[in-house]
Amino acid sequence: MPFSTTTFIRRAERDDLDTVVAWMENEDFQRFLYGDPARSPKQVREKIVAMLGRAVGHTMPGGIYLLIDSPEQGPVGLLSLQNISWRNRSCSVDLYIGKEKHRNGMVAAGAVYQTLEYCFHELNLHRISAYIYSFNSASWRIFEMTGAVRELTLRDHVARDGVLHDLYGYGLLRSEFDAFRVRYHRATEGLSLKAMIEALGASGTEPEV
Amino acid sequence: MIRGDHTFIRGTEQDDVEALFQLYMLDEPKAGLLDARRERLLPNRDEIRDLLTRKEITEGGFYTVEGRTGAIAGFCSLRGLSTEAGYAEYSIHFGDSKAYESPVADEAHAFLCERAFVRLGLRKVLAHVLSSESALTTFLQRSGFSSAGVQREVLFAQGGWHHLETFVLNNPTHHVYERSI
Repeated sequence: MPFSTTTFIRRAERDDLDTVVAWMENEDFQRFLYGDPARSPKQVREKIVAMLGRAVGHTMPGGIYLLIDSPEQGPVGLLSLQNISWRNRSCSVDLYIGKEKHRNGMVAAGAVYQTLEYCFHELNLHRISAYIYSFNSASWRIFEMTGAVRELTLRDHVARDGVLHDLYGYGLLRSEFDAFRVRYHRATEGLSLKAMIEALGASGTEPEV
Repeated sequence: MIRGDHTFIRGTEQDDVEALFQLYMLDEPKAGLLDARRERLLPNRDEIRDLLTRKEITEGGFYTVEGRTGAIAGFCSLRGLSTEAGYAEYSIHFGDSKAYESPVADEAHAFLCERAFVRLGLRKVLAHVLSSESALTTFLQRSGFSSAGVQREVLFAQGGWHHLETFVLNNPTHHVYERSI
C-alpha cells in the first residue's frame, strides 16, 4: 500500500525555540531524553539556544537539527544528526516527537524516512547510528522497519521511575537502506524527499533542507 | 603513584608526551584513541601537550603505566563519565601487544576497576575495541568483560572498514537503584 504524508523536514531556526523548549519541559517527553532530569528550565533553554545557534549552514557541519513540520499540525518534532563524521561518512540520529499523539504514527515514520534519505542521498553518508531506550518501542520499531540492525544492547543502562532499562544501538548502512527502498519502492514513493519538495512547491512553501 | 608488583601507575604528565605521541603513530588504529565521531586522530606533540592540560586529565582520568624499571609500558584511562547511566569508558593501551598477556595489564586493569567501582561507585565500565585489536579483545574477555554487540563499518582506515565491538564489565557490588523520590 503506498504511503504519503504532508509532513516535511526543514532546518530548525531560532523562531522554533519556544516550541522546542515547551517540548523539552514536558515531563512525559523528558522520559525519552538523555541527560540530567534535574536541569532547570533555564539550563534546558540555554542548551537548545546553543543547538539552534550552531552554523548548520556550514558546508561540513558537525551537527544538523531538522524540525519536523506539517501544514496542518505545525511543528511536531525535532530530528538531530549528531557526531557527523565526514571521514567515516557516518552520524547518529535522534528523533524527538513533541506531540504525543504522533509518536506511534506515520508522522514519525515519514520524517525518519525523509531524514535517512537526506543522510544517504544528499549528505552521501555511509552509516547511520541510533541509540534508543528499550521502552521507546515506537522509535526503534520505525528504525527496524527501514532495515536498521540492532547491533548493540547495553543492559540496565538507564533508570526511569525506579526501573532500569536497556539501551539499544541500531546501525543502518547505505546499502541496506537502498535495498529497503528498492523493495518497498511503491509504498515509500510518497514519503520521499522528492515527493516532499513537490508537495511544498505545490503549496507555495519553500523547502529549506 | 600506585606501586604494584609489576608496575608504577601515575597520572599522565607533560613529560609523557613523546610516549603518547608514539602510541598515536602506530600503524593499527586503536578504538580507545578515536574521538567522539570515531575518527582517527593524528595529533602532533603540541596538540598532545595541550590535551594533557585539560581538566579531565589534570584532575585524574588518564594514567601512565610504567614497568618496574620506570620505562613507560602504556596508558590507561576512564573517560566520558556519565552520571546518569553510572558508567565510564575504560581504555587501556600498550605499544607492544604482548603486554596484554602480562601482569602489567592485569595490574592496570585492577587499578581502573578500583577507581571505577570503589572510588567512583560506577555501575559499569564500557570498553570499545576495533575488529583489528585482537590482543585487546582477548585481554578484555580474560578480565571478565562480555560483549554487548558489534557496530558494523564504523571506522574507515587503512583502505577499509573496521567494526567496533563494545564490551561491558559490571560492578560486582552494584545494588539495583531503588526509587526514593
